[in-house]
Amino acid sequence: MESKKGHSKPGEFKPMDLLACAAAREVKDGEIVFAGTGLPMLAIMVAQHTQAPTAVCIYESGSIDGRPIDLPTSVADARCSYQAAVGDGLTDVFGQLQSGKVDLAYLGGAEVDLYGNVNCTFMGGPTGKRLTGSGGNSDIHSLAKRSVLIMPQFGQKRRFVERVSYITSPGWKIPHWPDKEWVPKQQVYGPAFNGGPAAVISDMGVYRFDEKGEMYLDTVHPGFTPEECRENCSFDLNISKCKGETLTPTYEELELLYKVIDPEGIIMK
Amino acid sequence: MARPKIVSLTEAVGQIKDGDMLTFGGFTVWRRPMAAIYELIRQKKRNLHLVEVNGGTHDDMLVGAGCVGIWESSWCGHELYGKFGSNLARKIEKGEILYEDWAHIHILNRLTAGSKGLPFLPTYAAMGSDMLNPENDNLGKAGLRDGSNPHIGKLKYAMYQEPFTNSEIVLVPAANPDWCITHVQMVGAEGTVRVDGLKFSDQEVIKASKHNIIIAEQVVPEEYLRREPTRNMIGGYLVDYIVEQPWGAHPTGLYGVHEPDGEFISNFFKATRTQEGFDQWAEEWIFGVKDFQEYLSKLGITRLESLKANPALGYSSTMKRGSR
Repeated sequence: MESKKGHSKPGEFKPMDLLACAAAREVKDGEIVFAGTGLPMLAIMVAQHTQAPTAVCIYESGSIDGRPIDLPTSVADARCSYQAAVGDGLTDVFGQLQSGKVDLAYLGGAEVDLYGNVNCTFMGGPTGKRLTGSGGNSDIHSLAKRSVLIMPQFGQKRRFVERVSYITSPGWKIPHWPDKEWVPKQQVYGPAFNGGPAAVISDMGVYRFDEKGEMYLDTVHPGFTPEECRENCSFDLNISKCKGETLTPTYEELELLYKVIDPEGIIMK
Repeated sequence: MARPKIVSLTEAVGQIKDGDMLTFGGFTVWRRPMAAIYELIRQKKRNLHLVEVNGGTHDDMLVGAGCVGIWESSWCGHELYGKFGSNLARKIEKGEILYEDWAHIHILNRLTAGSKGLPFLPTYAAMGSDMLNPENDNLGKAGLRDGSNPHIGKLKYAMYQEPFTNSEIVLVPAANPDWCITHVQMVGAEGTVRVDGLKFSDQEVIKASKHNIIIAEQVVPEEYLRREPTRNMIGGYLVDYIVEQPWGAHPTGLYGVHEPDGEFISNFFKATRTQEGFDQWAEEWIFGVKDFQEYLSKLGITRLESLKANPALGYSSTMKRGSR
C-alpha cells in the first residue's frame, strides 16, 4: 500500500478494517483497557500505535501491559505476556476490575439488546441453542467504567433485539434479583456502580446509549443508510440522533493493521 | 501425607472415584492436564462433578465421554479453534447433564473461599444477569440442595446487604473439590511446584482441593527449585501424587515449552458436532491407543517438533499461523 495521508475511500478498505479502527478510536490516551481475543486485540493495538500510546492493556488471564511483537490468538497466549509489566493471574486482574480500575473493555456476544444487555450463553433462552457461556464477559461488562461491544449485524437482525433471550452480561436496565423488578443498573449496583455499556460497533454503524440507557444510532458506516441500520434491528432503533458517517480508516491505520500488528494474516486475512 | 508419591499416570488417576468433585489447573486451552483427561476417560470414570473457573477442550472431552454428571463453570469452548464446547452444548440442549452457569469472579471466589477455609466470599460481579435468576438454579430444581451432598450448597448464592456501606452484594458458597489435577513445567522430587508463565487461578484451585495430582514435564531435584523459592508456587505437602509426563498438556499449550495444537483442537471441535463423531474421535485417539506414550507416537515427532516454543520468547517463532 502506498503511503498516503488522510482517510481511505470506500472500496479501499474491508468491513473488518472499519470495525477495528472504529473500535480503536474509543480508547483515550492513558486509559486502562481490558481486551479479549480477536478484533479487540487489534483495536487496542491500533489505539496504542496512534492516539493512545500510554494506554495499558490487561488480559483477563493475568498479563498486564504486555508489549507483544507478534499477534496473540487468545488471552492466555504466551505472546500476551511478552515484555509485560506483570504476569500473574485472575485474582489480580479481576480484583482490579471490581475495584473500578478498568476504564474501557471490549466485548463481543451473540445478542445485544436495546439496553446493552448481552447474551453469550443461550440463543433463545435456557431451552435454546447453547453457546460458550459468560467467561469474563459478564464480570467485565458489569464492572468496567465503559464497555464497547463489537458485533456483526448486517443480515442478522436477530442479534439486535429489544430484550436478549438470556442476560449473560447486564446493561443499563436489568432485573433486580430475586424479585425480578426491572430497574436501572445504578439502582442494582449502588456504591459498586462503575459505569456500563458505552458503544456498540457493528459492521453497519456505531451505536451509543442515551440518558434512559437506550441504544441509538450515532454514526452510520459508509455504504449504509440509517434506515438500513434500523431494518437490521429487531426493535425500533432511534436513528434521529445520527451525526453522519463513521470516519473511514486512515491509510496509517490500514498499514498498521496489515503490516505491523497482523502481518501474518491471522485475523486480517 | 507429608511427601508425595511419584507414580504412573494410571495409578494416580486410579485414585479418583466415580462421583468425586474435580477441578483442573490452567486456563481455556492453556496448560491443561490432558494426559490425565485421556486416562480418566480410559478408566471410564462416571458421574464426576466438575467445578472449574473456566472450561475448555479438556472438559468438553470428559463430557463427551460420559464421565461428567454435574458441570459448574463460567465457560466452555476452544478459543479460536472452535466456537463452543459442542459435547457440553449437545448434552445441555438434550437435558442429559446437570449444569450451573457462573461468571468468572463467582466461580473464582467459590474456589478462593475454599482455599482460605471460608464458607463464602462476596462479589458485585454479574448482578442482574440470568446466572442469578432463581429460575436457573438447576441443582436446586433437581432437588440436590437438600444438604445431603457436601459439594452442593443449600443455596446457589445469597443476596446480602452488607453492614459497612449498606450495598447489596452476592455471596457465593465455597467449593472444595476432592481432586485438582494440574500440569506444570517443573516439580521437585518432594513436590515443590514451579509454574512458568501466567499462574491463572492455579494457587486457588490447588489450595481449595483435598487432594492434588501434579503432572510435570520434568521432575527435578528439590535443591534446584529451592535455590529460588520466590519463583515457586506450591509446597510439596499439598501434593499427593506426582506424575512425570512430557507433552502431557497436548493439545493445549504450555508456556515456554509448546504451542497449543490448534489444528488438532479444531479437528476435535469439528468431530464433536455429533455424539457419533465424538465416539469415533475417542476411538481413534483415546481407546485406540494403549496409553499416552502411544498417543504421542501416533502424533509423531514432526508434529510435536512444529509446536515447540522458542524459550527466549515463550512461544514458537516459526509456526505458520495466518494466511500470509
